[in-house]
Amino acid sequence: MLVYRVQGYPVPIPAQAPPPQEGPEYEARLEEFEARIARGEKIEPTDWMPEEYRRQLVRMISQHAHSEVVGMLPEGRWIPHAPTLRRKLILIAKVQDEGGHGQLLYRAAETLGPTREEMIEALLAGKAKYSVVFNYPTPTWADVAAIGLLIDGAAVVNQLMLAQGSYGPYARAMKRICYEESFHIKQGYDAFVALATGTPAQRQMMQEAVNRWWYPALMLFGPPDRDSVHTPTLLRWRIKTKTNDQLRQEFVDQYAPMVLRLGLTIPDPNLRYDPETGHWRFSEPDWDEFWRVIRGDGPCNAERMAARRRAHEEGRWVREALAAKAARQADGGGNGRYAVAGL
Amino acid sequence: MGDTQWPVYEVFLQEKRGEPHVHVGAVHAPDPEMALILAKEQFVRRGRCVSLWVVPAEAIYASRAEEAEELFASALEKDYREPRGFRVTERVRRWMERHGESLPDV
Amino acid sequence: MGNPSRMSEPLREALGSLLLAMADDEVLLGHRDAEWVGHAPILEADIAMASIAQDEIGHAILWYSLLHELGWPDPDRMAYFRDPPEFRNATLVELPRGDWAFTVVRQFLFDYAEKVRLEALMASAYRPLAEAAAKVRREETYHLMHSRAWVVRLGDATEESHRRMQAALDLAWPHALGLFEPAPGEDLRVAEGIQPPEAELRARWEAEVRPILEAASLVVPEAEPIDGGRKGQHTEHLAALLADFQLVARSGVGETW
Repeated sequence: MLVYRVQGYPVPIPAQAPPPQEGPEYEARLEEFEARIARGEKIEPTDWMPEEYRRQLVRMISQHAHSEVVGMLPEGRWIPHAPTLRRKLILIAKVQDEGGHGQLLYRAAETLGPTREEMIEALLAGKAKYSVVFNYPTPTWADVAAIGLLIDGAAVVNQLMLAQGSYGPYARAMKRICYEESFHIKQGYDAFVALATGTPAQRQMMQEAVNRWWYPALMLFGPPDRDSVHTPTLLRWRIKTKTNDQLRQEFVDQYAPMVLRLGLTIPDPNLRYDPETGHWRFSEPDWDEFWRVIRGDGPCNAERMAARRRAHEEGRWVREALAAKAARQADGGGNGRYAVAGL
Repeated sequence: MGDTQWPVYEVFLQEKRGEPHVHVGAVHAPDPEMALILAKEQFVRRGRCVSLWVVPAEAIYASRAEEAEELFASALEKDYREPRGFRVTERVRRWMERHGESLPDV
Repeated sequence: MGNPSRMSEPLREALGSLLLAMADDEVLLGHRDAEWVGHAPILEADIAMASIAQDEIGHAILWYSLLHELGWPDPDRMAYFRDPPEFRNATLVELPRGDWAFTVVRQFLFDYAEKVRLEALMASAYRPLAEAAAKVRREETYHLMHSRAWVVRLGDATEESHRRMQAALDLAWPHALGLFEPAPGEDLRVAEGIQPPEAELRARWEAEVRPILEAASLVVPEAEPIDGGRKGQHTEHLAALLADFQLVARSGVGETW
């Protein structure tokens, strides 16, 4: 029996020529692959998959991982200033979860080939994308509440869909992430309500933050379906199960009432409930701005990347030191403080 | 490049004593002890755990997916290996019905 | 001894000054540790450090709550509405975050100090304190494992890691000795069986940390303790820390958050 190494790209031992990506054999495999997806089965790392499936997943999962890690920054900067000990604990735990989610996602992407190191290098070199929303600033404490409600709310709508996706490791990571995100929304809503029902100054602070974060939240779902080049392929292979516009609509339906209920407004003159369809109508975000920010020209792109690079550079000696120490001790077998698992 | 994200350790978690260890994910760590220390906060921030295992990912080998259907299929009837393959209770009942009056009262 | 209302005023004060020192130490260290969130050397370390920060702040809330039972203001009031001279933390915890080496060394010295303190307080005559100490001591097990693992690795891993760790120890050590500066009222606390003398705790602490530091190829500096924290004398860093910490709470924008 041939065996696969589990880590990273499944390398057959002994090495084989890469499977063909065209011709009758490819067609047969593709048919089997698509039939499996149509039956609702998950694809696992050692399965045959079209290179395009692999490429799309690596693109999506690594972007998702980068978004979690860069997403730690705009909220994380408020940890030192959190106004009560409880809010401080909650915010540390929440930003910590985002790091945890990034960790899970990088690992899910690693099962498709690239190493975490390669993905991080790509991010720091400015070659990888992450969600545009994290390039917007958080000038007040209320922005933490607005992110907790609107951005996490949007993220959950998106991630519940992704948890249904066809790639096993990604769907499994999403399941756990969605479970933790339910805490994020709760805390976001709680912080939002505290300000929205607070003093006039607190309400105003909250209103201004909602004004800042409404359109970025809509952008989180990506470009409109008419401009989304990847969507048909992603749907066919159940990498996604809903389109960007469908998800955006779900989000507005769920979250617009939560904001309006407390007498705050949403910065969209066209926003209204349509009783005939049962959906809210709303204006699209400024897509020119969206593409500008994606290309790196947002209010905080440079700042976010500088922070990530600094952390990476300042941590390099630590990573190198422990790697060196472990290499020296490899023969000695650790220091004996951990037990060997007994079956 | 002179940099590294450290090797990968797969993490297995036992929720309760008596339950099996279940694969929950992986951590990047320089050595087994650090892997355990770091896995604890990545995988037991919430929820229960009574025991963690970490295993170098490169020590894990897997069967090939393409062979799975044939490898794990059971073409011929092998119900003699399953408990449902036996009809012994029925035979005991029939025998007892036929010999009822001469059997001890147990 | 478990009922504050039956306690003499001097004893209540003495007990309070110990709890205040412990709470202020933890809340500020938790704040400093949390400054790493999103900036640590590797994701897994970021996550672990965030947990440690939460634990320290959680402990602070516990000590502030015991203090509240003795008649002091509530935990948020204590953390957010006092000025530097009113804080009774050792200066160790107010020093800036520094590099990962300083963070690891400070955490290591503090975790072991907390260990010996908690183990002593588990036998405290003040029952609520003894019970809380037993609870916190369990959580401390992970901290000890974590900070010890970092120290023994970084101490002699590479030339650079050794240099940074030694510099961190040289800076942190005299401030760490300040953890054992007795808070006012020590004689009374010792006489009433609330705690053993700080000098005794320090001796136990040194017996624990010195061998580990030596095993990590680090040299403990000859230095006098930097005291004063327990009397409200602080470095310039505390004011900057509190300006960050209390920024929103003191903004006057609202009462509840």
